[in-house]
Amino acid sequence: MTWICLDRLLLDEHAAPLFLAPALNHATLRERALRLAGGLRARGVQRLALHLEDAGEMAVALLGAWRAGVAVLLPADLQAASRARLSPRVDLWLSDQPGDAQLAELFGEPLPAAALELDATLLTLCTSGSSGEPKLIDKQLRQLANELDTLEALWGSALDDACVIGSVATQHIYGLLFRLLWPLCAGRPALRRALPFPEDIQLASREHAAFCWVGSPALLKRMGDNLDWPALRAVRKVFSSGGALPADAAQALQQRLGQWPTEIYGSSETGGIAWRQGGSLWQPFAGVEIEQAADGALALRSPCLPPNHREQTADAVRIDADGRFELLGRLDRIVKLEEKRVSLPMLEQALAAHPWVAEARLGVIEDNRAYLGALLVPSSEGLHVLRNQGRRVLTEGLRQHLKGHCEPLALPRRWRLLHELPGNAQGKLGQAEVDTLLAAPRPDKPQILDAREQDGEWQLHLRIPLDLRYFSGHFPSTPVLPGVVQIDWVLHLAPGYLTIPPRFVGMEVLKFQQLLRPGDLASLTFRFDPARNKLYFSYQIGDSAASSGRIVLGAADA
Amino acid sequence: MSDLQHEIKQLIIDALGLEDMGPDDIGSDQTLFGEGLGLDSVDALELGLAIQKRFGVKIDADSKDTRKHFANVNSLAAFVSAQRAA
Repeated sequence: MTWICLDRLLLDEHAAPLFLAPALNHATLRERALRLAGGLRARGVQRLALHLEDAGEMAVALLGAWRAGVAVLLPADLQAASRARLSPRVDLWLSDQPGDAQLAELFGEPLPAAALELDATLLTLCTSGSSGEPKLIDKQLRQLANELDTLEALWGSALDDACVIGSVATQHIYGLLFRLLWPLCAGRPALRRALPFPEDIQLASREHAAFCWVGSPALLKRMGDNLDWPALRAVRKVFSSGGALPADAAQALQQRLGQWPTEIYGSSETGGIAWRQGGSLWQPFAGVEIEQAADGALALRSPCLPPNHREQTADAVRIDADGRFELLGRLDRIVKLEEKRVSLPMLEQALAAHPWVAEARLGVIEDNRAYLGALLVPSSEGLHVLRNQGRRVLTEGLRQHLKGHCEPLALPRRWRLLHELPGNAQGKLGQAEVDTLLAAPRPDKPQILDAREQDGEWQLHLRIPLDLRYFSGHFPSTPVLPGVVQIDWVLHLAPGYLTIPPRFVGMEVLKFQQLLRPGDLASLTFRFDPARNKLYFSYQIGDSAASSGRIVLGAADA
Repeated sequence: MSDLQHEIKQLIIDALGLEDMGPDDIGSDQTLFGEGLGLDSVDALELGLAIQKRFGVKIDADSKDTRKHFANVNSLAAFVSAQRAA
């Protein structure tokens, strides 16, 4: 196989088709790219936002734009809020979305073929930043070219002419390099479309004598027993990136395929930093110099960064004497949900902007899949919605609101409604506490604010929790405290204050006069009449009675 | 709603952590992925595993239309019934 360096992709030519299904050869790709370059220049476009599913079209668009000196921005998604934020930075949107420009309509008189300018900053990647604002990362083509050289030197001969079958989008640096630019420079065939499902990967693999996979943990840890693993052992290499592959998933692949998956550690900011194939230690790529920064994070210089630039990551690291290293988790509030980077501060700000929300904090829940949970303090408006329309209207409304700010996978699935957020001595709520609160079951008891006794009668001030677990079924759209729960609370709380017989015998003169609802402040009064073995109780809201009754009790052995 | 459909709906809710939802909130012909219920491709992968495990069936990986079974609860129920009968 002949290697064509990134800058010469419009000058030199691979003979075999580059992209498959349907096939796109290098000659056609060049011709289209040059026509796009002419069209963009004729329109005076200088900055282009690009979001396409088809890697072949993406290649035409990138090479065409770069030939014309047009800076390309790759938005991570096409959410309304992302578009609004990025629109001032671009002249034109080229995407699969209706209303945006399509590739074919931009073609013009072709520009002559020429080398691409490696030192021009012609690519901007988008990712989530820790402050909440999306982060834009500029790349010179040379940074990409250097990484491609490294990849080919390491694995080019092992892959040879293997068809590249991938599950990840080319909007992000991993898919862009592994599914598009690397095959393009190497002259290796690659499928145009990302295949997110194992069954499709298997079908595509069967069509090629030689193939490799460009996957991510989201796919690789969910490949089932229903696949024809003996046939899939022909896979030349299995790449994984976007997040660490759990050790058991890597082990399962090793057993089924006879080889360890090759994991790449890197980020949009840094490009590829290191790789590993089995084990927990990462091997830095050639030319990457790493060190531990004062805060414990990994810092590096790399051929994939601008010259002399030191980039500090937010990943805590331990570096071994031999230069390999172990990653110990993130130091900021960026989380990965199935490899998608999500900024918790950004979503918290978006939630707080909604009139139903007073405060919100988010955390990750690792269930069968990873998703977000939200601790929510409703505003008075939000409380009104909860009390009059129910929990689902509240949480679904907030999910709808967030849809404009994030991809669907970041929409919180679990909600915990609180009267206020707990804080530590410094008034701060740590992420560990957030995660603990999210993991806890919804409450089934009231919050006791104080308790006073006078002449044998106790009065407890209670807050009815917003998120009491009984509210979901009683009733979904108008949560009220069930009478049976009110009695249960009396039986549960009274022994803490009074000595009473343990056995429930019956009820007398039960009266329910007013509903108790989420967030209500109520008082519960009870006293015990030992002569009659009766526990008198009443719930009140302010001065008005909510409910009352007598509980007849008996000795345990009666 | 058949028992099988009800069971599949509960499985979707449990396996994917869908809070505040009951089987009655999922239409048997409602699209599960993308718009509709708003589930994504990771949910589709998880649900594929959960269905195979719960019902002891296998998704034929060499069939071109395996993912069509996942269009909605009706198609999933039909798939599980057919697999069990086979």
